[in-house]
Amino acid sequence: MVTHEDILNIANLAKLSVSPEELDELTKDMNEIIGFANTINDACPQATDFDNINGLSNAFREDIVVPSYDREEILKNAESQDEGYFLVKKRM
Amino acid sequence: MTKYELVCGLETHIELATKTKIFCSCTTEFGGDPNTHCCPICIGLPGTLPKLNKRVVEYAILAGLATNCEISRISKIDRKNYVYPDLPKAYQISQYDMPLCKNGWVELSNGRKIRLTRIHIEEDAGKLVHQRGNTYVDYNRGGVPLIEIVSEPDIRSIDEAKEYLEKLQLIMRFIGVSDCKMQEGSMRCDVNISVRPVGSKEFGTRTEIKNMNSFAHMAKAMDYEINRQIDLLESGEKVVQETRRYNEEEDCTESMRGKEDAHDYRYFREPDLVTIQVSEEMISELKKKLPELPQQKAKRYMEELGLPEADALLLTQYRRISEYFEAAIKGVKNPKTVANCMIGQMFSRLEGDGAKENFAVKVTPENLNALVRLLDEGKIRMNLLKATLEKMLDTGKAPSELISESDMGGLDPDALRAACEQAIAANQNAVSDYLGGKEKALKAILGAVMKATRGRADAIEAEKLLVQLIKK
Amino acid sequence: MESRIKKLSEQMASGQVSCLELTKAYLEAMEKDNQKINAYVRFTPETALETAKRVDRKIASGEPLLPLEGIPMTLKDNISTKGIETTCCSKILTGYVPIYDATVWELLQKQNAVLLGKTNMDEFAMGSSCETSCFGGALNPHDTSRVAGGSSGGVASAVGGNLAVYGLGSDTGGSIRQPASFCGLTGLKPTYGAVSRYGLIAYASSFDQIGPITQSVEDAAIVYDAISVYDEKDSTSRGKVNAPVCESLKNSIKGRKIGIAKEYFNGIRDDVNSAIQNAIKVFESLGAQIVYFDMPSLKYSLPVYYILACAEASSNLGRYDGIRYGYKTDHYADRNEMVCKTRNEGFGKEVKRRILLGTYVLSAGYYDAYYKKAQNLRGELVKAFEDAFQKCDVMLAPTVPMTAFPLNFTAKDAVETYQTDICTVPVNIAGLPAVSIPCGFDAAGLPIGMQLIGNRFCEATILNVAHQYEIATDGQMFRTAEMGVKL
Ligand SMILES: [Mg+2]
Ligand SMILES: [Zn+2]
Repeated sequence: MVTHEDILNIANLAKLSVSPEELDELTKDMNEIIGFANTINDACPQATDFDNINGLSNAFREDIVVPSYDREEILKNAESQDEGYFLVKKRM
Repeated sequence: MTKYELVCGLETHIELATKTKIFCSCTTEFGGDPNTHCCPICIGLPGTLPKLNKRVVEYAILAGLATNCEISRISKIDRKNYVYPDLPKAYQISQYDMPLCKNGWVELSNGRKIRLTRIHIEEDAGKLVHQRGNTYVDYNRGGVPLIEIVSEPDIRSIDEAKEYLEKLQLIMRFIGVSDCKMQEGSMRCDVNISVRPVGSKEFGTRTEIKNMNSFAHMAKAMDYEINRQIDLLESGEKVVQETRRYNEEEDCTESMRGKEDAHDYRYFREPDLVTIQVSEEMISELKKKLPELPQQKAKRYMEELGLPEADALLLTQYRRISEYFEAAIKGVKNPKTVANCMIGQMFSRLEGDGAKENFAVKVTPENLNALVRLLDEGKIRMNLLKATLEKMLDTGKAPSELISESDMGGLDPDALRAACEQAIAANQNAVSDYLGGKEKALKAILGAVMKATRGRADAIEAEKLLVQLIKK
Repeated sequence: MESRIKKLSEQMASGQVSCLELTKAYLEAMEKDNQKINAYVRFTPETALETAKRVDRKIASGEPLLPLEGIPMTLKDNISTKGIETTCCSKILTGYVPIYDATVWELLQKQNAVLLGKTNMDEFAMGSSCETSCFGGALNPHDTSRVAGGSSGGVASAVGGNLAVYGLGSDTGGSIRQPASFCGLTGLKPTYGAVSRYGLIAYASSFDQIGPITQSVEDAAIVYDAISVYDEKDSTSRGKVNAPVCESLKNSIKGRKIGIAKEYFNGIRDDVNSAIQNAIKVFESLGAQIVYFDMPSLKYSLPVYYILACAEASSNLGRYDGIRYGYKTDHYADRNEMVCKTRNEGFGKEVKRRILLGTYVLSAGYYDAYYKKAQNLRGELVKAFEDAFQKCDVMLAPTVPMTAFPLNFTAKDAVETYQTDICTVPVNIAGLPAVSIPCGFDAAGLPIGMQLIGNRFCEATILNVAHQYEIATDGQMFRTAEMGVKL
């Protein structure tokens, strides 16, 4: 059973603000979805050393510098910037 | 009153001295205008993928080998999830349950071994600047490679903590994986602290002091925290398990727990990266690269070369210095002379850790070697050696360019007497000062003798003779 | 079905039509017909026309054309295109203009592919109907009262509606094959690692794979050969492991073993079942041998997929905080509230549900029961497929248990909607290639699809079998929609 408190707790971890109106619906949805996820409860899988799906290892890069991007490009999509920094204003 | 003992373990973050970041090819150079060492990968643009820098793995393994760790043949990389503006992907790529290195140790001078639980690789976060409540974000540091070295709670005093950290710093510098500059943040640590009554086997509740960035702060913070915990226990209260920070101005530690930060990192395997498999060949190749470590070296300097401990420690402080020393002593009779030249005249010209680390002096080890050999062969005396070394340090010239044939060999007694008499005659004021009780005045006369003989005079002999002649 | 790509390429090379004429025909048709199906969320006429002119100059100079050169196409809106807004059809990415190109788009640009625009999708590829798009869903060109499918609904709608020759979508749990099936098209989900994911905005990193949606199997083969290239930027990339798939399309499938796991047929609609039974007869007539077996662990596919994909998604979508790109809330009291409000206002309901589920299954106390257990079950499913491919060369299964949903069908019940992915998610769990091709029509004339599933990097085998079916049925399973460019 997923409670309101559980939802608020995971919403806080996921940085989603949940309004009181949304809370009931989300709790109901989550209970259905978790109920569905619980269908794996009866399975007793062997502990497999599940690796990445293609079984690859050691994909390395050499330690060679490539010029970075122009700062203008880096900041281009930021809603707010100041003196070359990304900016988060105290409040809006 | 109950006596308490400290139980302490350190988590040390060390920035690796690679050229590029851990998952992209941006430079790791310190400083730079904000957000100029960035690319789509290290600012976490949607759709970008990390690609692991091979040298990061090599450096972490070297660090493990140098601290007696087992190297995991298979290790994996995980995501540590938390939302904070300095973390552009909202997760830090790190290692959780399969770190690269495990079960090592570092030995302290009192013979105690501080066990290392693990060494893992991870990425650094960006930098936040808070001004008037606004937050300014710079991702230049974001993605710089770190190793995190986690010790067991084996440390029992503040001095041990300091020595442990110094040892780590020394080793990491020596093997060249990091410059470990605490003031630049390339070495910093979190201190886990608890206290327990002496004799007790159980651990007390611990607190973690985050982000110590100097030895002095660490010592102060530990001292405050130990006393705080003892006071709590003595007054029958409980220590709360929490993270704390050191407040420099107040010289105290304070709780960091805000109501927002519920910590649940939800580690899981990083699906964008693949397993790291370390082969026997890779380990033996890296072992070949591993230099003799400072502790072993210092021991050898003392035992085989007969150096005093203080000298041995100074000469093994940085890899360059010990390499220089070892090149300069080849074939010399008394390595202590070389040590004296380096620790005395050479060190005094190097200001700061950086200069010592690079040991950038104009004199080549071969030239220093040649100079000391002249002394060994009796061709010059100690004072000429010192004077010549000064000139060599100024000009970078070889001793053969600075010392002529005629300079070599000592003065015969007649010539020395003549030089002394001349110096007395030319410095009558100094003579009367000396006779009036000013001991120092003798130095001026001696200087004149040395100058006149271009350093060939034996200063001790000359001084004796001067006193004789003046008193006569 | 003949290859549209080949035909157009020949017509351009021989001067029957110029690339500019062809491109303009598509751009004009888009102006006219896109409003009927909402396939595109953004047109890119400048880049299309510029490329077309370049191709025409190349033709004039007598240089031979590369396979995809000058062919008008589209990209799903989660594939990063430098200088062209890329939003994943989410409010949270409105205004985001990538500063780099996805590797697949880099590869296609080297071939002078003509990009007509970016196509509609479920928000962050989370959905089965395209209706979670912040632009409203793409509609089915065969019946605009029905969905095009999802999440690559826009690509399928555009290709099915003759508003692009082909398109690239992404398939995390069926997002290429399901809309291809709903729109009567070929949709190829390649082996995990065959096509670089660099620049594909992640939903679930260990499942996501880019692939083509086309009008014929040969077209899918041509596009696959062009994009399945090793990419050093993607650590999970292997590129194409075997010879080009185009070379083996014409091979006989006599003696090929086609495997059928009966679990795939539980609860599928009768008309879908009988279309597949007919296809089985066609395969038998071509000399293929049908083998039947059980794969009991398939029953765990859906929860395993949703647990693992949502876990990865919850982490992948953590970065949308309004600071570096995308939407940012207007009013907030402090930084934490800024992030929470931005995310709450920027993400749609389904995305939030999946983020919450993913956060839940990874959180302390639930990790072992959900995430870890699902990961172990994933390992068992991988093994089950390995065993299956000891018994057969390809597997045959329905793509979706039904045909295209009516609009708003998926809004009612999240779990019921998830169930419709039952046939598509297993290959994503196991990282296998699968192609969906049309194999019949329901009573309303809506296309029915079937999928051929291959062993790892056996794209050539499944495309060969699919192509031979297409030839044997003489293109009767393909119907063109009454819109778009007529060729
Ligand atoms: Mg760490
Ligand atoms: Zn970078």
